[in-house]
Amino acid sequence: MTYPAILPAKGLADRLTGTFWRRPGLLLLLLIAPPLLWLGVVYLGSLAALLLQSFYSIDEFSGVVKEEFTLKTYAELFRAQNLDIIIRTVVMATAVTLACAVLAFPIAYYAARYAKGPWKAAFYLGVMLPLWSSYLVKVYAWKLILAKEGILGWAAEGTHTSWIIDGILSVPFLEGSSLSTSPFGTFLVFVYIWLPYMILPMQAALERVPNSMLEASADLGATQSQTFRTVILPLALPGVIAGSIFTFSLTLGDYIIPQIVGDSSRFIGLTVYQLQGTAGNTPLAAAFAVVPILIMLVYLSLAKRAGAFDAL
Amino acid sequence: MTAAVEFQNVSRHFGPVKAVDGVDLTIAEGSFFAMLGPSGSGKTTCLRLISGFEKPTGGQIRIFGEDVSNTPPHLRNVNTVFQDYALFPHLNVRDNVAYGLMVKGVGRSQRHAKAEEMLALVKLDGYGDRKPAQLSGGQRQRVALARALVNQPRVLLLDEPLGALDLKLREAMQDELKALQHKLGLTFVFVTHDQHEALSMADSLAVFNEGKIAQIGTPRDIYDRPATRFVADFVGSSNVLPPDLTRALGGPAQWASLRPEATRLAATGPVSGTVTALRYLGSGTRVVIRAGGTEIAALVPAGQPVPTEGATTAIAFDPQALHLMGAI
Repeated sequence: MTYPAILPAKGLADRLTGTFWRRPGLLLLLLIAPPLLWLGVVYLGSLAALLLQSFYSIDEFSGVVKEEFTLKTYAELFRAQNLDIIIRTVVMATAVTLACAVLAFPIAYYAARYAKGPWKAAFYLGVMLPLWSSYLVKVYAWKLILAKEGILGWAAEGTHTSWIIDGILSVPFLEGSSLSTSPFGTFLVFVYIWLPYMILPMQAALERVPNSMLEASADLGATQSQTFRTVILPLALPGVIAGSIFTFSLTLGDYIIPQIVGDSSRFIGLTVYQLQGTAGNTPLAAAFAVVPILIMLVYLSLAKRAGAFDAL
Repeated sequence: MTAAVEFQNVSRHFGPVKAVDGVDLTIAEGSFFAMLGPSGSGKTTCLRLISGFEKPTGGQIRIFGEDVSNTPPHLRNVNTVFQDYALFPHLNVRDNVAYGLMVKGVGRSQRHAKAEEMLALVKLDGYGDRKPAQLSGGQRQRVALARALVNQPRVLLLDEPLGALDLKLREAMQDELKALQHKLGLTFVFVTHDQHEALSMADSLAVFNEGKIAQIGTPRDIYDRPATRFVADFVGSSNVLPPDLTRALGGPAQWASLRPEATRLAATGPVSGTVTALRYLGSGTRVVIRAGGTEIAALVPAGQPVPTEGATTAIAFDPQALHLMGAI
């Protein structure tokens, strides 16, 4: 009994596999067409619509959107009160990103270099677990933690460390009757909520740095801080940048946390929400929404110029 | 002569695993020393004990007479060529080579000049602006070599540096490494699992087995007079003869080794067997004869008659070639 050199195609799967083998481009096309359509039409399309809107203006008397191209709406961004919102948001996003980076690095470093087996699983669980519960629940939980009669104030009183909280609350720009009504509270909640988005890309980047590279650095005479600055940081930088894009842009666009925790001062996200909703000023809302996009573009080009992606 | 590296009863245990167990070793200054052994035999751990990436759990290590028990890697004037080269992907070749000078605070122009000098030494002048990813395996290996030499180490450690190269390149690099070592007069410590590489390059070598040194000596010593069965098995393509066969061949009842090139085929003799395999090597044919329970290889030079598989033949040899050895 000899076996045939060519086996007969049985069923649809055999024929499909054959078709894809003969035309390798077909499978690729089928796989990427839906996401491309989604990104291209739904996302880029709405982005274009947004851009378009931002070049319209609103008639101050009737409140009707005039569909004529003008830069008037953009000029409005530079009015003191609007500029304040932009600066406040950018400062907050920068502070949150820096704090996330500093907090995330040791965690990511430990997970990438030392954690093995069950400890690695515990790390992923620990980082992801907060993402399982509702964002709103977490923010309200923080409001209770930070409130004047909250657990933090209670613990501070018990340990006679209330002066630390009072000290923070007396710093200019951070004033408030309690942490939950201080911009510092807003900052704390932002850092907590976005931290996983910094840890995960950082950990992925650090995991790709082989141990021998750190050994080579030490072998050539580098101290640990030199190794950190000249090897670990440059190699982890794409991950740090990826993480900072998350924390930075998520903070730039968030409109819920500043409403719940803090002194109710306005941020870009909240302003967009109010302008397009209650105020009906879609053009200005669109112009505000363009600001984070521009900031991200500037940030990425600076990062690229600084060589952040050289190790990619 | 000073000892470049000295191990006194050095051990490195990882829990119950005795990676290195009671090793005594002296590496002479200016020599090309090879550590040979199968994977897991402790040779790489020994190298890492010299560079400082492992700490001994027992014993003492001296580098040029100085106890290095409490010296971290970055303060040891010893440099390593890593198995995977470990070049920094974000730095170009010049900055990779100059790295050791950079961390010491040498100025930019001075360290770049020195880096170019090292690149010329490994015949890579003009490659300074490239990134490691743009180089071939052989070129990366040279960059790793230049980078390790830039600090003018007293001892250069090489961890299977030729393992990733193809045969032709490997042979060329063997000659070059040897020439470089001569030129610089440095002590090279070379880890390999390739017995040919160890035998052809080293002035002296240590054969590792299960965390211990099975034999230490010149390549000729080790090849001609293996101290144990393990060394004979691992280093040579030597025949290892059990005691009864040694006696049948006219020797004492001891383990012995017999090199295939000293083994001949004869019409009659005290031991004979069946030809079980033939392998044509170009310069000759390797004939495997099964005698009793042992397979014995003989090398029949080109031009001499070769038996067919299944034929019966006796074995003859030069009595001087029979080398007696320990059982382990």
